[in-house]
Amino acid sequence: MNEQTERAPKVALSHLFWWFMFAQGGGLAALVLPVHILVQGVLGPLGIVVAVDRHYDTWISILGNPIVKLYLLVLIALPFFHFAHRLRYLLVDLGVPAAKGVPAQVIFYGGAVAVTLFAVWVLLTTAPISLG
Amino acid sequence: MSAEADSTAHVATRVYKPPMGAGWWTRKRHYFLYMVREFTALPMALWLLWFLIEIQRAGGGVKTYRPGASTAFVIFSVICLLFALYHSVTFLSLAGVIIRIKALDRPVPPRAIVVTMFGLWLVASIVIGAVLIGFGR
Repeated sequence: MNEQTERAPKVALSHLFWWFMFAQGGGLAALVLPVHILVQGVLGPLGIVVAVDRHYDTWISILGNPIVKLYLLVLIALPFFHFAHRLRYLLVDLGVPAAKGVPAQVIFYGGAVAVTLFAVWVLLTTAPISLG
Repeated sequence: MSAEADSTAHVATRVYKPPMGAGWWTRKRHYFLYMVREFTALPMALWLLWFLIEIQRAGGGVKTYRPGASTAFVIFSVICLLFALYHSVTFLSLAGVIIRIKALDRPVPPRAIVVTMFGLWLVASIVIGAVLIGFGR
């Protein structure tokens, strides 16, 4: 047995991470995003139901809850890692070879990281954390 | 290296690039639906960005907070909802292919996994919908 075959197989941690984020983001968007759009984007604005974000006092008090902040962070940030991959490959499929390159990867996945950081900042600065 | 070996090495590194135009996905319905599935990411991303901005605007106080209520916003949301539903159906339908789990030392049939995922979607929608409406009163 030579030196090369004795080496332990390398775990592709980077691939593991990005595929995990892609799958979880896609799954989360599939399970919970439609009802948010339906209630907060259609039924609430049409006045068919009173959605939680219709009135300032209700919305700001809900936004102060740390569990709600964590939920909103996951809801908003995680799907963007899925979107980044899908949109990059959409460009590849449309015949844009540059979308395969490292600069495109930095733009798309970096964009997902930027949205995550922006979401963290928004959720931490919008309403003071309150358990009440 | 001889000239022949050099030539062989050169041939071995060539990559076949099939000629495929940018409009290949318009040729078959199946290709088109595949591209629609990939495209669903864009409207969903736009809606979530709007949502994030709405949260940020709440930080400005009661005077600056204006939740989306215009006809244009509702139309935008309906379009995003259609794409989100298409994403849900296509993504959850693939769960039977992607998820491999065993129960009692036997592989769970793909159909059972897909049905479970759709059931989970229904339960999550009812619970989250009830919270979004229930806390709004």
